[in-house]
Amino acid sequence: MSAGRTLWAGLRLLDRQLVDRNGRMAGCVDDLELATTEDGQHLYVSAILSGPGALAQRLRRRRYGSWMRGVHALVSPGEGDPTRIAFNLVSDIGDHITVAADHEELGSASAERWVRDHVIAHIPGSGHAPE
Amino acid sequence: MKKMLQVTLCILTAIGGFVDIGDLVANGETGARFKLGLAWAVIVGVVGIIVYAEMAGRVAAVSGRPVFSLVRERLGPGFGLANLLASSFINFLTLTAEIAGVAIALSMAASVSYIVMVPLAAVVIWVVIWRLPFERMEQLFGLLGLALLAFVVALVKLGPDWGHLFSQAAHPAVPKEETPFTYAYFAIALFGAAMTPYEVFFFSSGAVEEHWTVKDLALNRANVYIGFPLGAFLSLSIMALTTLVFAPRSISVDALPQVALPVAFAAGKVALACLIVGIFAATFGAALETALSTGYCIGQYLGWEWGKHVRPREASRFYLVVTVAVLLGALAVMTGVDPVKVTEYSIVLSAAALPLTYFPILVVSNDRDYMGDKTNGPVLNFLATVYLVIIVLVAVATIPLMIITKGGA
Repeated sequence: MSAGRTLWAGLRLLDRQLVDRNGRMAGCVDDLELATTEDGQHLYVSAILSGPGALAQRLRRRRYGSWMRGVHALVSPGEGDPTRIAFNLVSDIGDHITVAADHEELGSASAERWVRDHVIAHIPGSGHAPE
Repeated sequence: MKKMLQVTLCILTAIGGFVDIGDLVANGETGARFKLGLAWAVIVGVVGIIVYAEMAGRVAAVSGRPVFSLVRERLGPGFGLANLLASSFINFLTLTAEIAGVAIALSMAASVSYIVMVPLAAVVIWVVIWRLPFERMEQLFGLLGLALLAFVVALVKLGPDWGHLFSQAAHPAVPKEETPFTYAYFAIALFGAAMTPYEVFFFSSGAVEEHWTVKDLALNRANVYIGFPLGAFLSLSIMALTTLVFAPRSISVDALPQVALPVAFAAGKVALACLIVGIFAATFGAALETALSTGYCIGQYLGWEWGKHVRPREASRFYLVVTVAVLLGALAVMTGVDPVKVTEYSIVLSAAALPLTYFPILVVSNDRDYMGDKTNGPVLNFLATVYLVIIVLVAVATIPLMIITKGGA
């Protein structure tokens, strides 16, 4: 985020649709991770959290939320927290939030890929174009 | 011709959404019990759905945002989740009733018990969702649904005293054998059947599926202003038919095939065959809409890739939800629950959940950030606000009335 650009983060970011660089939908902004600047004077948004676990925690279902985040991590092959999208990946903030990354590399879509590979791909016709 | 076919989105919304098993049953039942004394509730309902479906379609065309995405953004995740749970439950009840309706239509043609037809109905519904493109789907079932006009043919053939029918509709009164509570309960059932939330979920998501833009606003209006009045016209014809044929003989409607009897009685076998095709198309269309709406609501709330315009592989969770919904719906019908009772509960509970869906549509259609200069005019806002008040009153009254009347008994 460019310096001096102040947003009312709660209103402009939370619950917006996340879209990847090719326009595919990749989850919602379920929660935000805040950090303080080095001088300790200002708060800034350091990451977007996206996934049912983060949403449950925001809705004060903490134990269910951390369990969901565990399941999410299980179906996500990479390292690190799959719900976390570093804020420097955000390329545009409008009525949806565009992330400069591909759907395939986003942790917020790992459950989508898991269902695709383990369920949907096994059903005949799953790859055919609809029109 | 292309423009003509495009209006089929709303014919499908009208046939499958407005005239579905809920309207077939509710209109047939109220005609037999209250004659035309509740016709006004259909009119009040259709004006309401026209007002809100036009807004939902306009928001989808201008901003590309379907209803449930707005619900979450405007109500927040907590109320959004409450609405999601309520709407998914109602979608599922309605889907169950519609699958039963498809099976009943098939069994009317094949003369076997409808339970036998349920697996066949479910498989065909699933295959259509899995393979048929969105536009083909709506054209096919929208046009086949026009066979429901057999209701109108039968009504004309009966040659009723039209003046008497109109005066009955214009001077509503509670019949002697009914209480004001059952009268109010069935008014809510008709209102709920007309304004069922899945209609706006499906209509706005359908607009996104068809890639509507600002250029399609005229098409949006044409769809809404043609489709829903057509649906209301068919609903009132059903009500008038059972008023004329069943009410004088004190016959009550408690199964779907009974709604077809006046048509066979007045217009013969060919009309009955047409009507069975129409009932099949209407319930099948509604089964598609409710199954897809289940996926639309959950997918849009959680920000998944969704829709029939993408391949199943690319919207895997959406297709999984829709598939599971059809499967569970079919299993629920096969337990032998009474389809008419399921239908009644689904439309009455719809009425209780309406405010959480319609309020965000009204808010966003006035938001310049989304709508530019396409926001609501003052007259529309006045009308929409009046309806919001009605919707809230209805929602508050529904559950107590359900308990007092023991489900309209």
